[in-house]
Amino acid sequence: MIGNNSVLKLEDVSKIYKMDGLFVKALDNVSLAIKEGEFVSIIGPSGSGKSTLMHIIGCLDVPTSGKVTLEHHEVSKMTERELAHIRNKKIGFVFQQFNLLPRTSALENASLPLVYNGTAESDVQKKAKEALEKVGLGERLDHHPNQLSGGQQQRVAIARALVTDPAIILADEPTGNLDSKSGVEVMEIFKKLHQQGRTIVLVTHDQNTASQAQRTIKLKDGKIVS
Amino acid sequence: MPIRQLVRVSLKALQTNKSRSLLTALGVIIGVASVILLISVGSGLKTFITSEMQDMGSNLIMVVPGDIDLDKIGPGAGGGAASSAFSSISSSKLELDDLEEIEKIPQIEDSVAMVMASSPVRYKGESKITQVIGTTENYVNIRKSEFEKGGFFTKSEVNSGRKVAVLGYKIAEDLFGEENPLGEKVKLGEYRYQIMGVLEEKGGQGSMSPDDKVFVPITTAQRQFDQDNISLIFAQVRSGDEVSPTVPLIEEVLKRRLKEEDFTVLDQKEILSTVSSILDTLTIALGGIAAISLLVGGIGIMNIMLVSVTERTREIGLRKALGATPEVILTQFLIEAVFLSVGGGIAGIIFGGGGALILSKFMPTTVTLWSVMLAFIVSATVGIVFGITPARRASRLSPIEALRYE
Repeated sequence: MIGNNSVLKLEDVSKIYKMDGLFVKALDNVSLAIKEGEFVSIIGPSGSGKSTLMHIIGCLDVPTSGKVTLEHHEVSKMTERELAHIRNKKIGFVFQQFNLLPRTSALENASLPLVYNGTAESDVQKKAKEALEKVGLGERLDHHPNQLSGGQQQRVAIARALVTDPAIILADEPTGNLDSKSGVEVMEIFKKLHQQGRTIVLVTHDQNTASQAQRTIKLKDGKIVS
Repeated sequence: MPIRQLVRVSLKALQTNKSRSLLTALGVIIGVASVILLISVGSGLKTFITSEMQDMGSNLIMVVPGDIDLDKIGPGAGGGAASSAFSSISSSKLELDDLEEIEKIPQIEDSVAMVMASSPVRYKGESKITQVIGTTENYVNIRKSEFEKGGFFTKSEVNSGRKVAVLGYKIAEDLFGEENPLGEKVKLGEYRYQIMGVLEEKGGQGSMSPDDKVFVPITTAQRQFDQDNISLIFAQVRSGDEVSPTVPLIEEVLKRRLKEEDFTVLDQKEILSTVSSILDTLTIALGGIAAISLLVGGIGIMNIMLVSVTERTREIGLRKALGATPEVILTQFLIEAVFLSVGGGIAGIIFGGGGALILSKFMPTTVTLWSVMLAFIVSATVGIVFGITPARRASRLSPIEALRYE
């Protein structure tokens, strides 16, 4: 299961939360590897530890025990500041709620991650424009989120995820807030990106969406079931 | 992350909430403007009084009735000390003979005595209550007066107690308008006085300006207002250096004739330092009161920044997920707070300065560089001090929690 050319590797990862004095084991000895260029979906009902796994893959959190490696970086031992840097360089987030900045143009929204890694200002605009062109929004650079449909907003968010050329694109229920037509459009974009060699991790509770990936990881009670 | 981009992000956040930003800054604007304005009034008053006194010449010694202890008037003493120090003026025991004795001291070049009284002055239909100053012919030399028309009364007119008068510029204008007052007669109380001259305009207001006063021979004034005593003696020495050695000489002469508590010899330097220390205290007190509003402005900034952090929790979470470190978030919110306070500070300086300029038409004001610098530094500090708590709160938000926040 653990390949040699893996981008991301989780080894015996556990995460324990303390809630109201009780210890809750959200992840229980999870091991997995994601290879370069893979399109993987993670599926599970709510309470399965899906979100916790996503936070650890997205370098938003570190495990209580176990080892997480992202392209030779041992993420599990990183400080908050180091995690911020690795998120900026290696992870492209796509959220269910889009999370675009209001009253801010598509171009500026897409360029947001570049602002945090010291990219030269002349490059920022160029790269953000290229990323928006990739998701078919080259004509709407100056539109604000409230002038865009839900599907278009999610495409801006995908452009924002692409702009830093990350190792992994991590999408959390990307179609959850969209009508079925827009949902299909967004999934098409993910498939296209996969064909271009992107590594994509899709977190969802929807079997249909999950099945469109190359490989599905099923999670239940903090453990991988298949 | 380069500071320039952080500044841009902060400015944009302030721009998206224009009216709120403006209202928040308003607290600081009012605070800074009132600090600038009130300090300008205080220091304007000081500059005005000091220059008025220096206009009189640095080589003057004053003799006033009563026992005045300048140390008791200065800051730290209550107003009671000041009023009791001057209360004895009305029962002056100084007389014209004392002036003659003082004039015998060789260091004294010139001297003048004055009595003061209030009286209505009338010409045709016009009437004004004014201050009448009875004095001697030396007044012109000591005050270096210039004349618009005519001249001053002479020694013989003083000696014979003639009813002649010299008008201040404003009084002449008010009573006569375009008419030539020379040779005309005005009525002071019950008596008619012939006008000999009109003084040139001196400008300024208050007790030191001769513009709205009427001058008559001291003997005439004493008779008309039924006074034997005099209110004030000015003695002039050749140079400022001779002031200090001459003061004890005058005291010695007067001690032979009067009791110690019946007179006080004052020199300019002493009066100036007392007056300016009183005015300094006043300025600081005014500035201190205004500074309280600056503090309130700072609290306003903190309040709004805390609201803003809560409101933008999701945005903070997003920025953190996309790679903003806690330091970057802290800096961003701190810059916002400092922009509000410094922007408010600059606007406050402009409004305060403008206000002082308008006010200067009615009273003396001086906008001092130090008050502008102080206001600027204090407002920037207010931004940092009151911005740090909200900024720290923002920087400590967990990205996971923040992204979940509804």
